Amino acid sequence: MLGAPHASAAVGTEAGGFRVLGGPDGNLRIAAWGYWPAEVISAFGLDAPAAAQALGRSSVFVFDSKELKPQGAEGQEAIRVLFRVLARLSFAKGSIVRGNAMTCMQLSRLLRECGADGRIEFTDN
Amino acid sequence: MGSAEDEVTKVIYGFYDALDDLLRSRGTSAMIEIWHHTDYATTSHPFGSWARGWTEVNVNWEEAAAVFGVYQGHATRSDRIGGIHDLKVVVVGDAAYGTGIYKSKLYMSDRQLDLSLNCTNIAHRIDGVWKIVHHHSDQAPPEWQAAIGRMVEAGHS
Repeated sequence: MLGAPHASAAVGTEAGGFRVLGGPDGNLRIAAWGYWPAEVISAFGLDAPAAAQALGRSSVFVFDSKELKPQGAEGQEAIRVLFRVLARLSFAKGSIVRGNAMTCMQLSRLLRECGADGRIEFTDN
Repeated sequence: MGSAEDEVTKVIYGFYDALDDLLRSRGTSAMIEIWHHTDYATTSHPFGSWARGWTEVNVNWEEAAAVFGVYQGHATRSDRIGGIHDLKVVVVGDAAYGTGIYKSKLYMSDRQLDLSLNCTNIAHRIDGVWKIVHHHSDQAPPEWQAAIGRMVEAGHS
């Protein structure tokens, strides 16, 4: 359907995964959940930064981390790849939907490390 | 060798020594050592949310160490950040639990943050060795959590 948002198939399982939801308006929403196994980390490290590259000046980016658990070193690095891309791009608004407080602090730390902390704010929904 | 109750008491005090190490940027090796690395290990911390299985439990402690890597209040202090009080231990076969109150003080740049939380720790004896398999604390008050969140965002305490 012309103009309808398009979602990637969910990558991973109920225990850990992500889904990319893009739209014709250039907006991007990435939902992530659980604790990621190696195959999810690999896919996220490729799919999420690639999707972010399509963000335009008027685009809105949302990272829904409500159900995401704190990630290990490899998972954090995959998220850093995304945040480094976001730090270089121009888009209208970026937000992270918060859930697990420890995850929120991990993402906050990663944003700061990647120089993206001024670009993305935390929201409750 | 002391009684099982003495051994578990020592393990639980060791857990809080390891926690103090972690919070003071002295590494996570003591915390890793105090746990049995089992898939039934579980932990919940003052920020809430469960970690289940050793992989997730370990990630939580590593993240806690990273969070407090930006805490600067220990630079000029010689006292402990926190410790367990009123610890009571009960041993039932190869399992044991301890209940107590964790009290801590953080010296932030603008004020002192005090915390007092009920905690439960469960130890399991495997091959004669008591180690932690479960840690649970009450959630910290929202204002305490918010102050730690601000510290992480700012990158300093």
